[in-house]
Amino acid sequence: MASAIPTFTKIGKVIRLNKHGCTNRPFYHIVVQKVKRKCYISHMKISITLKKKYYTRDNFDGPVIEQVGSYDAMPNSQHEKLVAVNFERVQYWLAQGAGMSNPVAQLLGLSGFLPNHPQTLIQSWKNRREPPRERKLQPIKGIAPPLDNPKI
Amino acid sequence: MFRIAPKKFIPADEKAEVKRLYDNYFHQMKSLRHYFFEQSLEQAESGEVAQMKHRLEEEEHIRLMEENRLENEKTAKLREEKLKIQAEKTRENILASLINKEEETRQYEIQIEAFLEKQKATPFIQAENIEKAIEEALANPVDFNFAIDLDGYVYRGRETAIEKIPEEERERLRSN
Repeated sequence: MASAIPTFTKIGKVIRLNKHGCTNRPFYHIVVQKVKRKCYISHMKISITLKKKYYTRDNFDGPVIEQVGSYDAMPNSQHEKLVAVNFERVQYWLAQGAGMSNPVAQLLGLSGFLPNHPQTLIQSWKNRREPPRERKLQPIKGIAPPLDNPKI
Repeated sequence: MFRIAPKKFIPADEKAEVKRLYDNYFHQMKSLRHYFFEQSLEQAESGEVAQMKHRLEEEEHIRLMEENRLENEKTAKLREEKLKIQAEKTRENILASLINKEEETRQYEIQIEAFLEKQKATPFIQAENIEKAIEEALANPVDFNFAIDLDGYVYRGRETAIEKIPEEERERLRSN
């Protein structure tokens, strides 16, 4: 793909969500982490495509370099999902050439730091299209308007 | 039994829309990353951290240069002292060698004189002494012939006969 601007080479670092918290209570740290390649079980005499699909060891990713924010997936009493982001550091790591996972890209797009991720737009029109699904829990009435979006 | 997952059907226009969105997004992201990169370069040149680093480096440099200068002075002093000592030593060496040389020449001259005197003392035959010497030589012929016995007795002279010499004079053993 010919372009005037040269492409970035991958430095082994990625900005992604690391899941912390406990059972039924997810909490994500937005984190800059070192990425190791997947290692395949080499002694098996199978084609590499099959190996890539079925016979890889655990992907022991490298250590966390820096925490750059947090994302609370459970809405609080005001029906808000709180997100904290250190934009300066995110800018630094993007300048260095770090990758980003999709959820992080979406969050940053929603925050206004980056352009809106297409996934948010796609999800939004899909949500509008489909009928709301049945819910077990009653919607809690508070400061924020009640949830009528079935997908959240 | 063999469940085949149903393939999702996405209409063509939606696909096109999705592609358009993603293309735009990646384009924007690429440009943003480059922008961030250039910003970081500018920061590195002129940011606060860079200035502080620069200042610290300068200070460090000055300090090290100062240290270096002091060290140089120290070593210069030491070197000068060493050189002085060495100069003294060499001077003494040279003097000693000169003295030795003089001694040797003196000895040599003495030896030469002794040798010359020895040579002069030996009786050379000069032009005046020729006739005298000839007469003397003719008058005293020297006979170098000799014979040796198995027992080691020497009989000198060409014309001497063995029986004519008495036993006492006969005994002349080898003298080492």
